[in-house]
Amino acid sequence: VLVLVRSPLPRLRALLQRCWGRLERGLWPSVFGGQSPPWGAALAVQGLALVPQGINDAEAPSLLESVVWMAAPKHRRTIEVNRCRRRNPNKLIEVKRNIDVCPECGNLKQKHVLCGYCYAKVKEETRLIRMEIYKKEGGPFNTPTVETVVLYEGEKPTEKDEGKRIIERARKRPSWFVQN
Amino acid sequence: GAAWARGLLSWARPERWLASGSLFPLSCIHTSTSLQQIGKIGKWEKKNRIVYPPQLPGEPRRPAEIYHCRREIKYSKDKMWYLAKLIKGMSIDQALAQLEFSDKKGAKVIKEVLLEAQEMAVRKHNVEFKSNLHIAESQTGRGRYVKRVRCHGKGMFGMMKISRCHYFVKLVEGPPPPPEPPKTGFDQAKEYVQQLRNRTLVHTL
Repeated sequence: VLVLVRSPLPRLRALLQRCWGRLERGLWPSVFGGQSPPWGAALAVQGLALVPQGINDAEAPSLLESVVWMAAPKHRRTIEVNRCRRRNPNKLIEVKRNIDVCPECGNLKQKHVLCGYCYAKVKEETRLIRMEIYKKEGGPFNTPTVETVVLYEGEKPTEKDEGKRIIERARKRPSWFVQN
Repeated sequence: GAAWARGLLSWARPERWLASGSLFPLSCIHTSTSLQQIGKIGKWEKKNRIVYPPQLPGEPRRPAEIYHCRREIKYSKDKMWYLAKLIKGMSIDQALAQLEFSDKKGAKVIKEVLLEAQEMAVRKHNVEFKSNLHIAESQTGRGRYVKRVRCHGKGMFGMMKISRCHYFVKLVEGPPPPPEPPKTGFDQAKEYVQQLRNRTLVHTL
């Protein structure tokens, strides 16, 4: 059944064609269930698909001239073919050969990356130092224009730390934080 | 269906209705259809319960086997399969190393499962060294799927499925078995020639 839609607006025509297609297939309101029907060749009908009525009245409008064919799968891929594709060695995860043991803490680390445990340790200590700095400064934009020195329990500022700002931390100096 | 019938029969058991002073505690437990929510023991969990008879003095030592699994992991079974295939046949230390530096979501889950299984092995299954384990089997299974609506533009909608998976692992005591050498053309040719030589006449003198 050929339905000729005499509508000047291409968008409305396209929408009506879509609606009609869905009605024909009984999918209104469209619910895409699990079973997909075997796809055939799909037509992409452009705006000016309608053959002007004045030229050929007796012949049916030829579809081959004014229609663009889109790619669509012709047959269902069997599970054997799917398995060959999914289990191809290029899709499997490669075994990593760049994992070592960190000499400091003994955890695993990648060769080109810092050890996660040591980094977390340093990050935590930095966070506590920053909290001390925040307490000393009191607010934003109060950073002094001098260097900062972090001193732990039982440490005195040396003559090198003359004009520097001193931040006190109430714990023993960690072994990895070397004092200048 | 069968579980429902069983539930009905258990309700209609005659001894339950006998008016007696003593009610056995077991008869009060009803087998209902919604046994999955209560906690049905799966086949993999039951494999840990088998007890072998004691070994005779001359027999070689049977290596310890530990079965562990995790159910209803929020991940796709196909994506989890790649990780399971990665660690199949590795020693447990190597597997943990690979999973630690993998970027996949399932790697974290599998690592937890392996650590739990290792702990179980040392505590309950009489394994001496926790590093002396290798992964004999590692499989994924499909969990319960849930269908949901996925909204598209222009008021359109589709149905999406939220997939979950199970992960099963079997640890065996001992070093990992050496990998099989890949089959060469020469081996295949030898097999072919052997097949030709095995041909004979049937149903004859």
